[in-house]
Amino acid sequence: MWTRTTDLERMLSAMDLLRARLNNVFGEVERPRAPRYGWAVDEGLPRTNLYDVGDHLEISAEVPGLGREDLKIKIQGNYLEISGTRKSEIPEGYRAHRVERGTTSFTRSFTLPVDVNGEKVEAFLKDGMLRLILPKAETAKPRQITIS
Amino acid sequence: MSENKELVQGQESMVERRREIPVVVPRVDIFENEDEILLYADMPGVVKDEVRINVDNGRLELSGIRSGEACGAAKWEEFCDVDFQRVFSVPQTIDVNKVHAELKDGVLQLHLPKSEAAKPRQIEVKVG
Repeated sequence: MWTRTTDLERMLSAMDLLRARLNNVFGEVERPRAPRYGWAVDEGLPRTNLYDVGDHLEISAEVPGLGREDLKIKIQGNYLEISGTRKSEIPEGYRAHRVERGTTSFTRSFTLPVDVNGEKVEAFLKDGMLRLILPKAETAKPRQITIS
Repeated sequence: MSENKELVQGQESMVERRREIPVVVPRVDIFENEDEILLYADMPGVVKDEVRINVDNGRLELSGIRSGEACGAAKWEEFCDVDFQRVFSVPQTIDVNKVHAELKDGVLQLHLPKSEAAKPRQIEVKVG
């Protein structure tokens, strides 16, 4: 009897999988939960994730091939702007067969859900991923309330 | 009792519950000179140990898995853990033993040297 239940569960999970695939076929409507990947080309803006980690926000962005000096980050209140350029040139003496990465230049701005303390923002760049730690402004921080 | 045991050890059903990692085609640049073919592939967030490169019988297979550590509540998510995969045909003249790669700022640089026999050669004309 118990084994039957596992069989049923397996069948159901297979159906879930199928449904997820079908959802992808017609394009997911929801934005936050469903990262979408097309084929090779997209609009040229870096993809980002934003997480709320209690007292700070954490944003990460895909910026392959960009060095520290290629990126500019501006913050004011709850406004964040990331811009960057990547020059990709054909290495000397080589001829190009295929160029998909190309030279990119982008500016992407965000309205953050809360104000952040612009002076304490930290930025890290590793393996082509930009990670920003944005501490929330004092007024926007979660506060513990003690019951009197 | 024995039936119960089977349920606990039912590893088989776990297989289908494994998280699915989407497969993404990385963007590439391909260059060539007399000595080698040079390939750049964008693989943001992939670490060195997660890159696999296979050259076999005229087929070059690239794969790089990105596994990130997400924490906190997602406000928006535009990317996730992915497997960057792409297959190319390469000429048989590639010297497989000398293929080497570097990973810098999320860009894979793959050098595919041509074998000596395939390099262009200058032929000197002798005076007869």
